[in-house]
Amino acid sequence: MASTGWLTFRRRNTITAYVFALPMIVGVCIFTIYPLVSSLYHAFTEWSGVSAAKWVGLANFRYLLTQDPTFWPSLKVTVYYMALSVPAGMIAGLALAVLLNRAFAGIRLFRTVFYLPVVLPSIAVLTLWKYIFDPSYGLANEILSDLHLPTSQWLAGSATAMPSIVIVGLWGVGGSMIIFLAALQNVPSELYEAARVDGAGAIRLFRSITLPMMTPILLLQLVLGLSAAFQTFNQVQVLTKGGPGTSTNLYMFKIYTDAFGNYTQLGLASAEAWILFIIVLAITAVTLRTSRMWVFEGNER
Amino acid sequence: MSSALSTRIGGQSRLSPAPAGSPLQRKVPMSVSRLAWYGLCTLLALTMLTPLLWMISIALKTNSDIISLPPQFLPSSFTWRNFVDGPREVHFYRLLGNTFIIAIVSTFGAVASSMLAGYAIARIDFKGNRFLFYLFTFSIFVPGIVTLIPIQRLFFDANAIDTWYPLILPSFFGNPLFIFLARQFFLSVPRSIDDSAMIDGAGHWRIFTHLMLPLTKPLWMTMIILAFQASWNDFLNPLVYLNSPSKYTLSLGMASFMGGLNSGASPEYNYYMASNLLFMIPPLLLFFFAQRYFMMGLGALGMTGK
Repeated sequence: MASTGWLTFRRRNTITAYVFALPMIVGVCIFTIYPLVSSLYHAFTEWSGVSAAKWVGLANFRYLLTQDPTFWPSLKVTVYYMALSVPAGMIAGLALAVLLNRAFAGIRLFRTVFYLPVVLPSIAVLTLWKYIFDPSYGLANEILSDLHLPTSQWLAGSATAMPSIVIVGLWGVGGSMIIFLAALQNVPSELYEAARVDGAGAIRLFRSITLPMMTPILLLQLVLGLSAAFQTFNQVQVLTKGGPGTSTNLYMFKIYTDAFGNYTQLGLASAEAWILFIIVLAITAVTLRTSRMWVFEGNER
Repeated sequence: MSSALSTRIGGQSRLSPAPAGSPLQRKVPMSVSRLAWYGLCTLLALTMLTPLLWMISIALKTNSDIISLPPQFLPSSFTWRNFVDGPREVHFYRLLGNTFIIAIVSTFGAVASSMLAGYAIARIDFKGNRFLFYLFTFSIFVPGIVTLIPIQRLFFDANAIDTWYPLILPSFFGNPLFIFLARQFFLSVPRSIDDSAMIDGAGHWRIFTHLMLPLTKPLWMTMIILAFQASWNDFLNPLVYLNSPSKYTLSLGMASFMGGLNSGASPEYNYYMASNLLFMIPPLLLFFFAQRYFMMGLGALGMTGK
């Protein structure tokens, strides 16, 4: 201490703190702030990545909104995917959580089994499902024909490809199940006891106590789910490459193809990425804004 | 908030008695409703497990089994050799080595840098503390795709395309989400611990390494699991940065082998699925041995955003 006596305690603290946080400060600058500024600038340029970027003003945005043959279809497909996958995942997760919110013997085994697919690597899961959906050799049609039901083209049919991708996502329902289960266990049991004394039935209990008490976590899962759905990539890259036609050309996949595909358009892709950023922010803001109408705010915290 | 909730998930969950069933249970004999519950759960569990069982069956099939129509659920004979021939065909062990090196180094970088930053922001009073807090909280909300193109150009200009640097280096500069978790956790450790250590003449480095690291084991174990899993499962970054198959990670190598199978003349799905099973084993082992921290991390993620 004596040797550093010329430094006040406070100043020494400040230096230590900045040394500790230095990697993070450098990291935020290089990997967040600089890329944000750079990509915002390049959104207004034409840039192949080989020659220098050329300022073109709003041309990229104008092209996307009015001429690009894949921009609007891709947004439409993404909204369709969100509308299918987010509610399905939340309802299935909540149903499983309610089912498993018991104290029966073997409950841990069941929870583990339902959670298992979540632990597996995404690519291992997707490649497995790609073969499951194979029209001639896959398990999906094998089961359908064993049940004497009409078989399907699954990923190869333009109407069935997207629902098939949603089914793969539902296999990972254990993730939201675990989160809902935790929330269910946080509901005070006095509430149920009081309602039961008043003669409330099972359905009434669920509607009037469980659901309202769960709304904060439902809201959070909804916001996270919508944002994740908008950034879905692996599924399309492994399962369909956007096809058949443009039936699964999710917006994130379109950005990837424009940025790193055969025909590199980094300026255009930057503009698309910023549109995604703004849409995700808007979805989050709107969901949070409207949440006051249906989210129960207890006085527990 | 997150730690209270997540310990509940991970721990021996103090279960509140089943709310939904009770009015019913009074009328129906207990065993009947319980039996129905077990029946339903078993049915659902089997449905969830079927794809995995089918994969194991494919992994054991002979080359002629997998192209026979109509497909049979069970292999005609168990071909254990697939677990030797398959990985060789896929270059599995090379991919596994690559993935392990990348995952271990980047996990170390992410945990170390985030712990230090979290400690500084939560436990040192200094000018700019608040600003740093806003800085990383802000970066949590930026979608990866917005920053991907400029970062890719940076590594391109640095001649680092087709190397592992882009997959490893960024993790040494702090992960915003981990810093957030670390800050929350450090805030919950009583201040009196540092105060008494400081009176004994200990500096922040000593306090961090000797007092905080042992105290925050649940925190960094959770981070290690999250970071390892993220790196093990990463697909987009290897896809963007790596060109030579000898440098591929498991995710990229397995996906590209599978992509080749569709156009190939002899679909070696039995080889592929045998390797795929091995690909799933490390994360499964991690899950079973560190289940508590796994659940904590999941709770933390669910609370703070992905």
